[in-house]
Amino acid sequence: MTSIGILQIVVFFGLVLLVTKPVGLFMSRLFQGQRTFLHPVLRPLERLIYRLCGVSEDREQRWTQYAASTLSFSLFAFLFTYALIRLQGLLPLNPQGFGAAQASPDQAFNTAISFMTNTNWQWYSGEAAMSYLVQMAGFAVQNFVSTAAGLAVAIALVRGFVRHESETIGNFWVDLTRGTLYVLLPLSVVGALLLCSQGVIQNFEPYTVATTLEGATQTIAQGPVASQEVIKQLGTNGGGFFNANSSHPFESPNPFTNLVQVFLIFILGAGLTYTFGHMVKDTRQGWALFWAMAVMFLAGVFVAYPAEQAGNPILANLGVESAATATQSGGNMEGKECRFGISGSALFATVTTDASCGAVNSMHDSYTPLGGLVPMFNMQTDEVIFGGVGAGLYGMLLYAIVGVFIAGLMVGRTPEYIGKKIQQKEVKMALFAILATSFLILVFSGITIAANFEKGGYWNAPGAGIANLNNAGPHGLSEILYAYTSASENNGSAFAGITVNTPWYDLTLGLAMLFGRFLFIIPALAIAGSLASKKFVPTSAGTLPTHGPLFVGLLVATVIVVGALTFFPALALGPIVEHFLMHQGTLFSTVVTSFPIWS
Amino acid sequence: MLKELRPGFMMMLVMTVITGMIYPAFITAIAQVVFPAQANGSLIVSNGTVIGSRLIGQNFSRPEYFHPRPSAAGGGYDPTASAGSNLGPTSAKYINGTTKKDDQGKEVADFLGIKARIVHYCVENGVPFESSVSLDRFKDGDGNLDDARLIAAFNDPATPLTFLPTTAIPSDAVTASASGLDPHISPANAGLQAARVAAARGVSAAQIQEMVVMQTEGRSLGFLGEPAVNVLALNLAIDERFPKK
Repeated sequence: MTSIGILQIVVFFGLVLLVTKPVGLFMSRLFQGQRTFLHPVLRPLERLIYRLCGVSEDREQRWTQYAASTLSFSLFAFLFTYALIRLQGLLPLNPQGFGAAQASPDQAFNTAISFMTNTNWQWYSGEAAMSYLVQMAGFAVQNFVSTAAGLAVAIALVRGFVRHESETIGNFWVDLTRGTLYVLLPLSVVGALLLCSQGVIQNFEPYTVATTLEGATQTIAQGPVASQEVIKQLGTNGGGFFNANSSHPFESPNPFTNLVQVFLIFILGAGLTYTFGHMVKDTRQGWALFWAMAVMFLAGVFVAYPAEQAGNPILANLGVESAATATQSGGNMEGKECRFGISGSALFATVTTDASCGAVNSMHDSYTPLGGLVPMFNMQTDEVIFGGVGAGLYGMLLYAIVGVFIAGLMVGRTPEYIGKKIQQKEVKMALFAILATSFLILVFSGITIAANFEKGGYWNAPGAGIANLNNAGPHGLSEILYAYTSASENNGSAFAGITVNTPWYDLTLGLAMLFGRFLFIIPALAIAGSLASKKFVPTSAGTLPTHGPLFVGLLVATVIVVGALTFFPALALGPIVEHFLMHQGTLFSTVVTSFPIWS
Repeated sequence: MLKELRPGFMMMLVMTVITGMIYPAFITAIAQVVFPAQANGSLIVSNGTVIGSRLIGQNFSRPEYFHPRPSAAGGGYDPTASAGSNLGPTSAKYINGTTKKDDQGKEVADFLGIKARIVHYCVENGVPFESSVSLDRFKDGDGNLDDARLIAAFNDPATPLTFLPTTAIPSDAVTASASGLDPHISPANAGLQAARVAAARGVSAAQIQEMVVMQTEGRSLGFLGEPAVNVLALNLAIDERFPKK
């Protein structure tokens, strides 16, 4: 590690710390129905939306209605996106003439689920498959509204703690509209113009044909990138306009835009911890969540960065410089951009998987084993390290419920959290949500590794499930494990060497994304409803304080033990064993011998 | 549930109009007025023809030009197919390279691999090296390296070719970037190429080295990212100052 590399990480974290309170305070006021400085401009538009949609602003919903509204909205989100993709050939803003041939029904299914669930897993290359209209009116719209839906669910869960003896937890349509109009849209306008000033493109031109200095022809992709880029980061969506995502110079042209992009990923997730504290009228409770997240973020980045800076010993033995000098970055530069260097890449990889973003500025598949372990581990914590917008907070609150339950078991008292008794129903729901994603990841990965399909057939033309891999040995296992982890946790980044545009992968990854999203949201809303109906319990001498370092430690331990250690055996066979083999200089050739047990 | 369908449909429609049409149109309108050059791709135009984008790398193979990093985007620096190699650190293909049979059944290079890239880099730039057998064994009739034979030698299970530069090679010089469109190389990489470019243009290495220093971009705000040299900008500047005779 270099001191200037560490400085970049520290400055980034300082900036996040700095905006947590103002951002959180704004959201707290907004979702409690108070006027903000944006109301003079946006309030008329907000009322117009309610009128058009037949929403009555003051009607409160029980948790079941709130969940029904979430599902209804998500259903139409899926249908709109699917239709746009399949009909792109008949629609305008399509200078490259992409059509239905660029996306078969199973591929469009996968992508529509992917964007509706805030995952943005991509089997396609944006510049070679999707029209400007699909990107702008399909994907970018989902980037806004799937984020706002996650935000709404988090706010509903917080209301569960705030309210007592209440039947209702708010109104989904109102929360969705306010999140989009007052939080996401204004920040996106500012961010898009900032990115554009740095060189992120924003136009509707056909691709430019250039004649290079050596006389060759180069076709340069264009498009309305900046407006989508900003919400892709801010909303922790992560679906790149281009295949190379934020490593593409038109998405992130310089190290400053790189900093802006990682900053955008964290600000709402960090702000929401303050929103939580402010809404429950004890900001220390919010800061406890913040610091639990911060500890895990810093631990992750300071494993990934040194691992990448140490680089690949196999290359070092061939005479490639591995130490950083004043004129070159050293380390593992495969799949990394010169302008970002090792520190800027490792930071991005950590942040994008702490949150459920999934944008990448470097190719995780080419990371060293330990450098690639960090993103995988981060996702397997259920992305509660600042996390997806809304999803990070409601995920962490479920862990907090499990945490106080475990502490309650140790001292033999009924656990309490934020003035509410935590009982059987809450604990069951929280554990169900946490275990559901683990189940999806391990079961889908296991089946795919063992699956044997007819070569050239419909389900998976390459043949066996492992014939789609770009790497052999333990790294191949990591590719499959990473794919189902990313889908089930709604992240969207990839060990992208794996070929996933076959019906088998499209279907199973699509289902993993769908269940991963809603088997978390519905239990979270059920807990919200249950908590809201409970009486307020005043703090007593026997109440575990949930705002100090002890609770931060308890929470971190709960996340690691309950969430991530489930995956230790799988990780041991993937990145951990690869680490030791790499240091021995062992290489693997991609010769596929499929398991004969499943055909 | 059924009565939730109408607001679901209408809300999706309204949000599509606001965030999917009005918002991007608004951003485009402002961007095209305030930042037209950036919004259209930072294109470099010379005598009415677009020669590329300042932000997008392009292929250079002639000795009088600085060369970019290896690229996994299509056939190399293809902006319609941005991509990294996605090869992991223990991939035999990544390190040793692979060959394939072409249409005529002749063995040709499929993927060059780190080892063959190091050989090319050393030979092109005059970087001293030690090789277990003379490289002449891998040259064709014209004296060019035959990559297929080179890769086969690296993959030989019994006595693989060993090749070691005596000066360390900058890691960006032999690795593919994430986008396949990386417009930059490290200053160290440019420094090792300077003598070759100078010789091809008949000027002194010091003059070219001076151009490299002039074209090196520092870190953003003094501490973000890494210093880097924009290959296209450097080659354009050299073309202007020291035109090839």
